[in-house]
Amino acid sequence: MLRRAVLQTFRQGLAQSFFKRYAVSLTETTVTHQPIETSNEAGERSVPTQKTGDESRNTVVVAPPEFRFMYPEFLPDPAMETRNRLREKLERMDMLQRRSVIEIPEFYTGSIMAVTVADANSPNKFARFVGICIQRGGSGLRAWFILRNVVDKQGVEILYEMYCPLIQKIEVLRLERRLDESLLYLRDALPEYSTFPLDMEPERRLNNSVVPINPLKVKLRPRPWLERWERQNLQGVEDLNLPQRFYDKAEKVAKPWEKYDLMLHYRKTIPAEEQEKIFAEIHSQLQQQELKRKLRRRRGPDNEQ
Amino acid sequence: MNQADLSKLVSALRIAVKPKPRPLSCPEGPAGRLRKLRATVTALVKYERIELYYPRAEEAQGYAERLISDAIRNGDCHKHTMEMADYWLNEKQLVHKLFKVLVPRYQNYNSSFSRLVLGPNSYPGYFAGTAILELKGNPFPALQPETHNYHYWLHNVLLDEAKKEFRSAREERNAGTTESVTAES
Repeated sequence: MLRRAVLQTFRQGLAQSFFKRYAVSLTETTVTHQPIETSNEAGERSVPTQKTGDESRNTVVVAPPEFRFMYPEFLPDPAMETRNRLREKLERMDMLQRRSVIEIPEFYTGSIMAVTVADANSPNKFARFVGICIQRGGSGLRAWFILRNVVDKQGVEILYEMYCPLIQKIEVLRLERRLDESLLYLRDALPEYSTFPLDMEPERRLNNSVVPINPLKVKLRPRPWLERWERQNLQGVEDLNLPQRFYDKAEKVAKPWEKYDLMLHYRKTIPAEEQEKIFAEIHSQLQQQELKRKLRRRRGPDNEQ
Repeated sequence: MNQADLSKLVSALRIAVKPKPRPLSCPEGPAGRLRKLRATVTALVKYERIELYYPRAEEAQGYAERLISDAIRNGDCHKHTMEMADYWLNEKQLVHKLFKVLVPRYQNYNSSFSRLVLGPNSYPGYFAGTAILELKGNPFPALQPETHNYHYWLHNVLLDEAKKEFRSAREERNAGTTESVTAES
Protein backbone atom coordinates (compact mmCIF):
# COMPACT_ATOMS: atom_id res chain seq x y z
CA MET A 1 0.00 0.00 0.00
CA LEU A 2 2.86 2.33 0.81
CA ARG A 3 4.47 1.58 -2.56
CA ARG A 4 1.24 2.43 -4.38
CA ALA A 5 0.96 5.75 -2.52
CA VAL A 6 4.56 6.62 -3.44
CA LEU A 7 3.92 5.78 -7.12
CA GLN A 8 0.80 7.94 -7.16
CA THR A 9 2.51 11.00 -5.74
CA PHE A 10 5.39 10.51 -8.20
CA ARG A 11 2.97 10.42 -11.13
CA GLN A 12 1.12 13.47 -9.84
CA GLY A 13 4.40 15.36 -9.46
CA LEU A 14 5.32 14.43 -13.01
CA ALA A 15 1.93 15.51 -14.27
CA GLN A 16 2.28 18.86 -12.52
CA SER A 17 5.75 19.48 -13.96
CA PHE A 18 4.54 18.61 -17.46
CA PHE A 19 1.50 20.81 -16.99
CA LYS A 20 3.68 23.77 -16.07
CA ARG A 21 5.99 23.13 -19.03
CA TYR A 22 3.24 22.76 -21.59
CA ALA A 23 0.66 24.99 -19.98
CA VAL A 24 1.28 27.63 -22.65
CA SER A 25 0.28 25.35 -25.50
CA LEU A 26 -2.69 23.96 -23.61
CA THR A 27 -4.16 27.26 -22.50
CA GLU A 28 -4.09 28.80 -25.97
CA THR A 29 -7.56 27.94 -27.14
CA THR A 30 -8.22 28.87 -30.70
CA VAL A 31 -9.98 25.62 -31.35
CA THR A 32 -11.17 25.37 -34.92
CA HIS A 33 -12.51 21.80 -34.95
CA GLN A 34 -14.72 20.13 -32.42
CA PRO A 35 -12.71 18.17 -29.86
CA ILE A 36 -13.21 14.45 -30.17
CA GLU A 37 -14.66 12.86 -27.08
CA THR A 38 -13.47 9.42 -26.22
CA SER A 39 -15.30 6.89 -24.13
CA ASN A 40 -14.47 7.52 -20.50
CA GLU A 41 -13.41 5.05 -17.83
CA ALA A 42 -16.98 3.90 -17.21
CA GLY A 43 -17.21 2.86 -20.89
CA GLU A 44 -20.91 3.61 -20.87
CA ARG A 45 -21.09 5.45 -24.18
CA SER A 46 -22.81 2.67 -26.09
CA VAL A 47 -26.54 3.18 -25.72
CA PRO A 48 -28.65 0.17 -26.56
CA THR A 49 -31.15 1.37 -29.15
CA GLN A 50 -34.42 -0.18 -30.18
CA LYS A 51 -34.98 -0.77 -33.88
CA THR A 52 -37.92 1.43 -34.79
CA GLY A 53 -40.99 -0.34 -36.04
CA ASP A 54 -39.20 -3.62 -36.74
CA GLU A 55 -40.16 -7.18 -36.07
CA SER A 56 -36.99 -7.84 -34.01
CA ARG A 57 -37.50 -6.64 -30.45
CA ASN A 58 -33.89 -7.26 -29.45
CA THR A 59 -31.84 -4.26 -28.35
CA VAL A 60 -29.27 -3.25 -30.94
CA VAL A 61 -25.98 -2.08 -29.49
CA VAL A 62 -24.54 0.72 -31.56
CA ALA A 63 -20.95 1.79 -31.20
CA PRO A 64 -20.40 5.42 -30.15
CA PRO A 65 -19.77 7.80 -33.08
CA GLU A 66 -16.21 8.55 -31.91
CA PHE A 67 -15.15 5.02 -32.88
CA ARG A 68 -14.50 6.06 -36.45
CA PHE A 69 -11.83 8.51 -35.27
CA MET A 70 -10.37 6.19 -32.66
CA TYR A 71 -10.15 3.11 -34.92
CA PRO A 72 -10.04 4.40 -38.50
CA GLU A 73 -8.05 1.38 -39.73
CA PHE A 74 -11.09 -0.89 -39.23
CA LEU A 75 -12.80 0.87 -42.13
CA PRO A 76 -11.86 -0.64 -45.49
CA ASP A 77 -10.19 1.14 -48.37
CA PRO A 78 -13.02 3.00 -50.11
CA ALA A 79 -11.71 2.24 -53.65
CA MET A 80 -14.52 0.21 -55.14
CA GLU A 81 -12.37 -1.95 -57.40
CA THR A 82 -10.55 -3.57 -54.47
CA ARG A 83 -13.44 -4.10 -52.05
CA ASN A 84 -13.97 -7.65 -50.89
CA ARG A 85 -16.37 -8.06 -47.97
CA LEU A 86 -15.13 -11.48 -46.97
CA ARG A 87 -11.50 -10.41 -46.91
CA GLU A 88 -12.44 -7.33 -44.87
CA LYS A 89 -14.32 -9.44 -42.34
CA LEU A 90 -11.41 -11.85 -41.98
CA GLU A 91 -9.03 -8.91 -41.59
CA ARG A 92 -11.16 -7.43 -38.85
CA MET A 93 -11.13 -10.77 -37.01
CA ASP A 94 -7.35 -10.90 -37.27
CA MET A 95 -7.04 -7.31 -36.12
CA LEU A 96 -9.12 -8.01 -33.02
CA GLN A 97 -7.05 -11.09 -32.34
CA ARG A 98 -3.87 -9.03 -32.46
CA ARG A 99 -5.41 -6.36 -30.27
CA SER A 100 -6.18 -8.98 -27.64
CA VAL A 101 -2.48 -9.80 -27.45
CA ILE A 102 -1.03 -6.29 -27.52
CA GLU A 103 -2.56 -2.97 -26.57
CA ILE A 104 -2.77 -0.62 -29.53
CA PRO A 105 -3.84 2.62 -27.90
CA GLU A 106 -5.89 5.41 -29.34
CA PHE A 107 -3.72 8.01 -31.02
CA TYR A 108 -3.98 10.79 -33.57
CA THR A 109 -1.65 12.69 -35.84
CA GLY A 110 0.30 14.95 -33.52
CA SER A 111 0.48 12.53 -30.61
CA ILE A 112 3.88 11.65 -29.23
CA MET A 113 4.41 7.92 -29.08
CA ALA A 114 7.04 5.34 -28.20
CA VAL A 115 7.20 2.05 -30.07
CA THR A 116 9.24 -0.99 -28.99
CA VAL A 117 10.05 -3.43 -31.76
CA ALA A 118 11.73 -6.81 -31.57
CA ASP A 119 15.06 -6.43 -33.35
CA ALA A 120 17.46 -9.38 -33.70
CA ASN A 121 20.41 -7.11 -34.50
CA SER A 122 20.23 -4.74 -31.52
CA PRO A 123 22.10 -5.54 -28.26
CA ASN A 124 18.94 -5.59 -26.15
CA LYS A 125 16.97 -7.46 -28.83
CA PHE A 126 14.46 -4.59 -28.62
CA ALA A 127 14.56 -1.24 -30.34
CA ARG A 128 12.61 1.65 -28.87
CA PHE A 129 11.83 4.81 -30.76
CA VAL A 130 10.04 7.91 -29.56
CA GLY A 131 8.54 10.38 -31.99
CA ILE A 132 5.58 12.46 -33.04
CA CYS A 133 3.03 10.82 -35.30
CA ILE A 134 3.10 12.85 -38.51
CA GLN A 135 0.84 10.70 -40.65
CA ARG A 136 -1.25 7.61 -40.43
CA GLY A 137 -2.83 5.59 -43.17
CA GLY A 138 -3.58 2.18 -44.55
CA SER A 139 -6.59 0.10 -43.72
CA GLY A 140 -7.01 -3.31 -42.16
CA LEU A 141 -3.90 -5.20 -41.17
CA ARG A 142 -1.73 -2.91 -43.26
CA ALA A 143 -2.52 0.17 -41.18
CA TRP A 144 0.61 2.21 -40.53
CA PHE A 145 1.80 5.39 -38.89
CA ILE A 146 5.01 7.41 -39.19
CA LEU A 147 6.91 8.66 -36.16
CA ARG A 148 9.34 11.52 -36.54
CA ASN A 149 12.12 12.66 -34.22
CA VAL A 150 15.41 14.49 -34.47
CA VAL A 151 18.26 12.39 -33.07
CA ASP A 152 21.77 13.94 -32.94
CA LYS A 153 20.63 16.74 -35.28
CA GLN A 154 19.48 14.16 -37.83
CA GLY A 155 15.79 13.94 -38.62
CA VAL A 156 14.59 10.35 -38.45
CA GLU A 157 11.22 9.00 -39.54
CA ILE A 158 10.12 5.43 -39.02
CA LEU A 159 7.00 3.87 -40.53
CA TYR A 160 5.45 1.29 -38.25
CA GLU A 161 2.76 -1.13 -39.29
CA MET A 162 0.35 -1.25 -36.41
CA TYR A 163 -0.43 -4.93 -36.60
CA CYS A 164 3.09 -6.17 -37.26
CA PRO A 165 3.87 -9.04 -34.88
CA LEU A 166 7.37 -7.66 -34.28
CA ILE A 167 5.92 -4.73 -32.39
CA GLN A 168 6.15 -5.40 -28.67
CA LYS A 169 4.67 -2.23 -27.22
CA ILE A 170 3.02 0.98 -28.38
CA GLU A 171 2.80 3.73 -25.80
CA VAL A 172 1.20 7.09 -26.24
CA LEU A 173 3.30 9.53 -24.26
CA ARG A 174 1.19 12.57 -25.07
CA LEU A 175 -2.25 12.20 -26.59
CA GLU A 176 -3.26 15.28 -28.52
CA ARG A 177 -4.31 16.38 -31.96
CA ARG A 178 -3.01 19.14 -34.17
CA LEU A 179 -4.68 21.51 -36.58
CA ASP A 180 -3.81 19.35 -39.61
CA GLU A 181 -4.38 15.70 -40.39
CA SER A 182 -0.90 15.33 -41.87
CA LEU A 183 2.20 16.91 -40.33
CA LEU A 184 4.56 16.25 -43.23
CA TYR A 185 5.52 19.93 -43.13
CA LEU A 186 7.58 19.19 -40.02
CA ARG A 187 10.24 17.98 -42.44
CA ASP A 188 10.66 21.57 -43.62
CA ALA A 189 10.13 23.12 -40.20
CA LEU A 190 12.76 24.17 -37.69
CA PRO A 191 14.15 21.08 -35.95
CA GLU A 192 12.91 22.13 -32.51
CA TYR A 193 9.34 21.29 -33.57
CA SER A 194 10.27 17.67 -34.24
CA THR A 195 12.63 17.07 -31.32
CA PHE A 196 11.41 14.99 -28.44
CA PRO A 197 13.53 13.42 -25.69
CA LEU A 198 13.99 9.70 -26.22
CA ASP A 199 13.47 9.06 -22.52
CA MET A 200 10.20 10.99 -22.39
CA GLU A 201 7.75 9.78 -19.75
CA PRO A 202 4.07 9.23 -20.50
CA GLU A 203 2.04 12.28 -19.57
CA ARG A 204 -1.07 12.10 -17.51
CA ARG A 205 -4.17 13.40 -19.24
CA LEU A 206 -5.94 16.20 -17.39
CA ASN A 207 -9.30 15.55 -19.01
CA ASN A 208 -9.91 11.95 -19.94
CA SER A 209 -12.95 12.47 -22.09
CA VAL A 210 -11.74 15.08 -24.58
CA VAL A 211 -8.62 14.86 -26.72
CA PRO A 212 -7.04 18.34 -26.72
CA ILE A 213 -6.18 20.07 -29.97
CA ASN A 214 -2.77 21.74 -29.86
CA PRO A 215 -3.14 25.00 -31.81
CA LEU A 216 0.60 25.28 -32.36
CA LYS A 217 1.68 27.11 -35.51
CA VAL A 218 5.00 25.86 -36.75
CA LYS A 219 7.78 28.01 -38.28
CA LEU A 220 9.22 26.68 -41.51
CA ARG A 221 12.84 26.94 -42.58
CA PRO A 222 13.60 29.16 -45.60
CA ARG A 223 12.94 27.68 -49.04
CA PRO A 224 13.59 25.30 -50.86
CA TRP A 225 11.01 22.95 -49.41
CA LEU A 226 10.05 19.37 -50.12
CA GLU A 227 6.51 20.32 -51.12
CA ARG A 228 4.71 23.45 -52.14
CA TRP A 229 3.19 24.15 -48.75
CA GLU A 230 1.53 27.36 -49.92
CA ARG A 231 -0.72 25.26 -52.21
CA GLN A 232 -1.97 23.10 -49.36
CA ASN A 233 -4.42 24.61 -46.99
CA LEU A 234 -2.28 24.16 -43.87
CA GLN A 235 -3.66 25.45 -40.60
CA GLY A 236 -0.75 24.54 -38.38
CA VAL A 237 1.92 26.62 -40.14
CA GLU A 238 2.84 30.21 -39.51
CA ASP A 239 2.55 32.77 -42.27
CA LEU A 240 4.88 31.58 -45.04
CA ASN A 241 5.89 35.11 -46.12
CA LEU A 242 6.43 34.20 -49.75
CA PRO A 243 6.50 36.56 -52.73
CA GLN A 244 3.06 37.17 -54.22
CA ARG A 245 3.81 35.15 -57.38
CA PHE A 246 3.70 31.93 -55.35
CA TYR A 247 0.21 32.65 -54.11
CA ASP A 248 -0.91 33.72 -57.60
CA LYS A 249 0.34 30.46 -59.08
CA ALA A 250 -1.31 28.54 -56.24
CA GLU A 251 -4.63 30.19 -57.09
CA LYS A 252 -4.16 29.40 -60.77
CA VAL A 253 -3.46 25.75 -60.03
CA ALA A 254 -6.11 25.34 -57.36
CA LYS A 255 -9.24 23.23 -57.86
CA PRO A 256 -11.92 25.10 -55.91
CA TRP A 257 -14.71 23.03 -57.47
CA GLU A 258 -13.53 19.90 -55.65
CA LYS A 259 -15.03 21.29 -52.47
CA TYR A 260 -18.47 20.86 -54.06
CA ASP A 261 -17.86 17.57 -55.83
CA LEU A 262 -20.28 15.34 -53.91
CA MET A 263 -19.46 12.14 -55.78
CA LEU A 264 -15.74 12.65 -55.22
CA HIS A 265 -16.36 12.80 -51.47
CA TYR A 266 -18.63 9.75 -51.71
CA ARG A 267 -15.98 7.70 -53.48
CA LYS A 268 -13.37 8.66 -50.89
CA THR A 269 -15.30 7.50 -47.86
CA ILE A 270 -17.37 4.66 -46.47
CA PRO A 271 -21.10 5.40 -46.04
CA ALA A 272 -22.38 5.92 -42.53
CA GLU A 273 -24.62 2.85 -42.49
CA GLU A 274 -21.69 0.61 -43.37
CA GLN A 275 -19.48 2.29 -40.78
CA GLU A 276 -22.10 1.70 -38.11
CA LYS A 277 -22.38 -1.94 -39.11
CA ILE A 278 -18.63 -2.48 -38.96
CA PHE A 279 -18.17 -0.78 -35.62
CA ALA A 280 -21.20 -2.47 -34.08
CA GLU A 281 -19.56 -5.77 -35.04
CA ILE A 282 -16.26 -5.02 -33.30
CA HIS A 283 -17.53 -2.76 -30.53
CA SER A 284 -18.31 -5.42 -27.95
CA GLN A 285 -14.98 -7.19 -28.45
CA LEU A 286 -13.01 -3.96 -28.14
CA GLN A 287 -14.90 -3.07 -24.97
CA GLN A 288 -14.18 -6.49 -23.47
CA GLN A 289 -10.47 -6.14 -24.26
CA GLU A 290 -10.38 -2.70 -22.64
CA LEU A 291 -12.07 -3.98 -19.49
CA LYS A 292 -9.65 -6.90 -19.21
CA ARG A 293 -6.71 -4.54 -19.55
CA LYS A 294 -8.06 -2.21 -16.88
CA LEU A 295 -8.53 -5.14 -14.51
CA ARG A 296 -5.00 -6.32 -15.21
CA ARG A 297 -3.67 -2.83 -14.53
CA ARG A 298 -5.56 -2.55 -11.27
CA ARG A 299 -4.44 -5.97 -10.13
CA GLY A 300 -0.85 -5.29 -11.25
CA PRO A 301 0.47 -3.22 -8.28
CA ASP A 302 -1.34 -5.53 -5.83
CA ASN A 303 0.28 -8.59 -7.41
CA GLU A 304 3.71 -6.96 -7.17
CA GLN A 305 3.30 -6.61 -3.44
CA MET B 1 -4.12 1.60 -49.72
CA ASN B 2 -5.90 4.64 -48.41
CA GLN B 3 -7.82 5.27 -45.27
CA ALA B 4 -11.41 6.37 -45.63
CA ASP B 5 -11.91 10.11 -45.29
CA LEU B 6 -13.67 10.73 -41.98
CA SER B 7 -14.38 14.44 -42.27
CA LYS B 8 -17.89 13.93 -43.67
CA LEU B 9 -20.56 11.39 -42.86
CA VAL B 10 -22.43 10.38 -46.01
CA SER B 11 -25.49 8.21 -46.42
CA ALA B 12 -25.24 5.12 -48.59
CA LEU B 13 -26.63 5.75 -52.05
CA ARG B 14 -29.11 3.19 -53.38
CA ILE B 15 -28.00 3.47 -56.98
CA ALA B 16 -25.16 1.67 -58.70
CA VAL B 17 -22.14 3.96 -58.39
CA LYS B 18 -19.35 3.36 -60.88
CA PRO B 19 -15.80 3.33 -59.45
CA LYS B 20 -14.58 6.18 -61.68
CA PRO B 21 -16.39 9.36 -62.74
CA ARG B 22 -16.85 10.28 -66.38
CA PRO B 23 -14.73 13.24 -67.56
CA LEU B 24 -17.62 14.86 -69.56
CA SER B 25 -15.17 16.79 -71.70
CA CYS B 26 -15.71 20.49 -72.22
CA PRO B 27 -13.45 23.51 -72.91
CA GLU B 28 -13.30 24.60 -69.25
CA GLY B 29 -12.17 21.18 -68.05
CA PRO B 30 -13.27 19.78 -64.66
CA ALA B 31 -14.80 23.11 -63.59
CA GLY B 32 -16.96 23.03 -66.71
CA ARG B 33 -17.95 19.44 -65.98
CA LEU B 34 -19.40 20.47 -62.62
CA ARG B 35 -21.06 23.52 -64.19
CA LYS B 36 -22.85 21.30 -66.72
CA LEU B 37 -23.90 18.82 -64.05
CA ARG B 38 -25.18 21.68 -61.91
CA ALA B 39 -27.47 22.73 -64.74
CA THR B 40 -28.71 19.14 -65.07
CA VAL B 41 -29.33 18.71 -61.34
CA THR B 42 -31.13 22.06 -61.18
CA ALA B 43 -33.34 21.04 -64.10
CA LEU B 44 -34.07 17.68 -62.51
CA VAL B 45 -35.16 19.24 -59.23
CA LYS B 46 -37.20 21.89 -61.10
CA TYR B 47 -39.01 19.73 -63.66
CA GLU B 48 -38.75 16.31 -61.91
CA ARG B 49 -38.44 14.56 -65.28
CA ILE B 50 -35.90 15.46 -67.92
CA GLU B 51 -34.72 13.86 -71.14
CA LEU B 52 -31.03 14.07 -71.95
CA TYR B 53 -28.09 11.96 -73.09
CA TYR B 54 -27.25 8.92 -71.00
CA PRO B 55 -23.69 9.67 -69.78
CA ARG B 56 -24.60 13.05 -68.34
CA ALA B 57 -27.83 11.65 -66.92
CA GLU B 58 -25.98 8.90 -65.06
CA GLU B 59 -23.47 11.37 -63.57
CA ALA B 60 -26.19 13.83 -62.59
CA GLN B 61 -28.21 11.07 -60.96
CA GLY B 62 -25.38 10.42 -58.52
CA TYR B 63 -25.08 14.09 -57.59
CA ALA B 64 -28.84 14.50 -57.20
CA GLU B 65 -29.06 11.45 -54.94
CA ARG B 66 -26.14 12.72 -52.86
CA LEU B 67 -27.73 16.13 -52.48
CA ILE B 68 -31.09 14.72 -51.40
CA SER B 69 -29.54 12.16 -49.06
CA ASP B 70 -27.43 14.88 -47.40
CA ALA B 71 -30.53 17.07 -47.03
CA ILE B 72 -32.42 14.19 -45.40
CA ARG B 73 -29.55 13.28 -43.09
CA ASN B 74 -28.54 16.78 -41.99
CA GLY B 75 -31.56 19.03 -42.55
CA ASP B 76 -31.46 22.66 -43.60
CA CYS B 77 -29.74 24.01 -40.48
CA HIS B 78 -26.52 22.19 -41.38
CA LYS B 79 -24.04 24.66 -42.83
CA HIS B 80 -22.28 22.29 -45.21
CA THR B 81 -25.54 20.90 -46.62
CA MET B 82 -26.87 24.38 -47.24
CA GLU B 83 -23.62 25.34 -49.02
CA MET B 84 -23.93 22.29 -51.26
CA ALA B 85 -27.59 23.02 -52.00
CA ASP B 86 -26.71 26.62 -52.77
CA TYR B 87 -23.98 25.52 -55.20
CA TRP B 88 -25.84 22.71 -56.93
CA LEU B 89 -29.20 24.46 -57.38
CA ASN B 90 -28.81 27.52 -59.58
CA GLU B 91 -32.33 28.79 -58.80
CA LYS B 92 -32.63 29.61 -55.12
CA GLN B 93 -36.36 28.79 -54.92
CA LEU B 94 -35.34 25.19 -55.61
CA VAL B 95 -33.35 25.14 -52.37
CA HIS B 96 -36.67 25.69 -50.60
CA LYS B 97 -38.24 22.96 -52.73
CA LEU B 98 -35.43 20.57 -51.80
CA PHE B 99 -35.83 20.98 -48.06
CA LYS B 100 -39.57 21.52 -47.86
CA VAL B 101 -40.93 19.23 -50.58
CA LEU B 102 -38.36 16.61 -51.51
CA VAL B 103 -37.01 15.83 -48.03
CA PRO B 104 -40.45 15.00 -46.55
CA ARG B 105 -41.30 13.04 -49.69
CA TYR B 106 -38.19 10.87 -49.49
CA GLN B 107 -37.83 10.71 -45.72
CA ASN B 108 -38.91 7.08 -45.40
CA TYR B 109 -37.78 5.77 -48.76
CA ASN B 110 -35.79 2.54 -48.74
CA SER B 111 -35.02 2.79 -52.44
CA SER B 112 -33.28 5.36 -54.59
CA PHE B 113 -34.92 8.77 -55.03
CA SER B 114 -34.52 8.94 -58.79
CA ARG B 115 -35.06 6.66 -61.75
CA LEU B 116 -32.96 6.50 -64.91
CA VAL B 117 -34.81 5.05 -67.88
CA LEU B 118 -33.29 4.54 -71.33
CA GLY B 119 -34.89 6.65 -73.99
CA PRO B 120 -35.13 6.49 -77.77
CA ASN B 121 -31.88 6.29 -79.79
CA SER B 122 -31.39 7.85 -83.17
CA TYR B 123 -29.92 5.23 -85.50
CA PRO B 124 -27.38 4.86 -86.92
CA GLY B 125 -24.75 6.13 -84.52
CA TYR B 126 -21.95 5.19 -82.19
CA PHE B 127 -23.06 7.55 -79.46
CA ALA B 128 -24.80 6.67 -76.21
CA GLY B 129 -28.51 7.14 -76.53
CA THR B 130 -30.93 9.35 -74.69
CA ALA B 131 -32.16 8.73 -71.20
CA ILE B 132 -34.97 10.01 -69.03
CA LEU B 133 -33.99 10.99 -65.52
CA GLU B 134 -36.87 11.51 -63.13
CA LEU B 135 -37.46 11.92 -59.42
CA LYS B 136 -39.69 9.25 -57.93
CA GLY B 137 -43.09 10.34 -56.71
CA ASN B 138 -43.46 12.90 -59.49
CA PRO B 139 -46.99 13.89 -60.58
CA PHE B 140 -46.64 12.71 -64.20
CA PRO B 141 -47.96 9.40 -65.56
CA ALA B 142 -45.55 6.49 -65.18
CA LEU B 143 -43.03 5.95 -67.96
CA GLN B 144 -43.04 2.18 -67.68
CA PRO B 145 -46.16 0.10 -67.03
CA GLU B 146 -46.28 -1.43 -63.60
CA THR B 147 -45.66 -5.11 -64.11
CA HIS B 148 -46.50 -6.88 -60.90
CA ASN B 149 -47.18 -10.54 -60.67
CA TYR B 150 -48.99 -11.22 -57.47
CA HIS B 151 -49.32 -14.82 -56.29
CA TYR B 152 -52.92 -14.34 -55.22
CA TRP B 153 -54.20 -13.42 -58.65
CA LEU B 154 -56.55 -16.11 -59.94
CA HIS B 155 -54.54 -17.25 -62.92
CA ASN B 156 -51.37 -17.43 -60.78
CA VAL B 157 -53.19 -19.56 -58.19
CA LEU B 158 -54.47 -21.92 -60.87
CA LEU B 159 -51.06 -22.15 -62.49
CA ASP B 160 -49.36 -22.91 -59.16
CA GLU B 161 -51.81 -25.70 -58.43
CA ALA B 162 -51.41 -27.13 -61.92
CA LYS B 163 -47.60 -27.14 -61.46
CA LYS B 164 -47.93 -28.92 -58.12
CA GLU B 165 -50.23 -31.55 -59.63
CA PHE B 166 -47.86 -32.14 -62.54
CA ARG B 167 -44.89 -32.54 -60.23
CA SER B 168 -46.62 -34.95 -57.87
CA ALA B 169 -47.93 -37.03 -60.83
CA ARG B 170 -44.38 -37.25 -62.23
CA GLU B 171 -42.99 -38.32 -58.85
CA GLU B 172 -45.62 -41.05 -58.57
CA ARG B 173 -44.76 -42.29 -62.03
CA ASN B 174 -41.04 -42.32 -61.21
CA ALA B 175 -41.67 -44.09 -57.91
CA GLY B 176 -43.85 -46.65 -59.75
CA THR B 177 -41.15 -47.43 -62.32
CA THR B 178 -38.34 -47.72 -59.70
CA GLU B 179 -40.45 -50.06 -57.59
CA SER B 180 -41.12 -52.22 -60.61
CA VAL B 181 -37.37 -52.19 -61.42
CA THR B 182 -36.38 -53.16 -57.85
CA ALA B 183 -39.07 -55.84 -57.75
CA GLU B 184 -37.73 -57.34 -60.96
CA SER B 185 -34.10 -57.26 -59.71
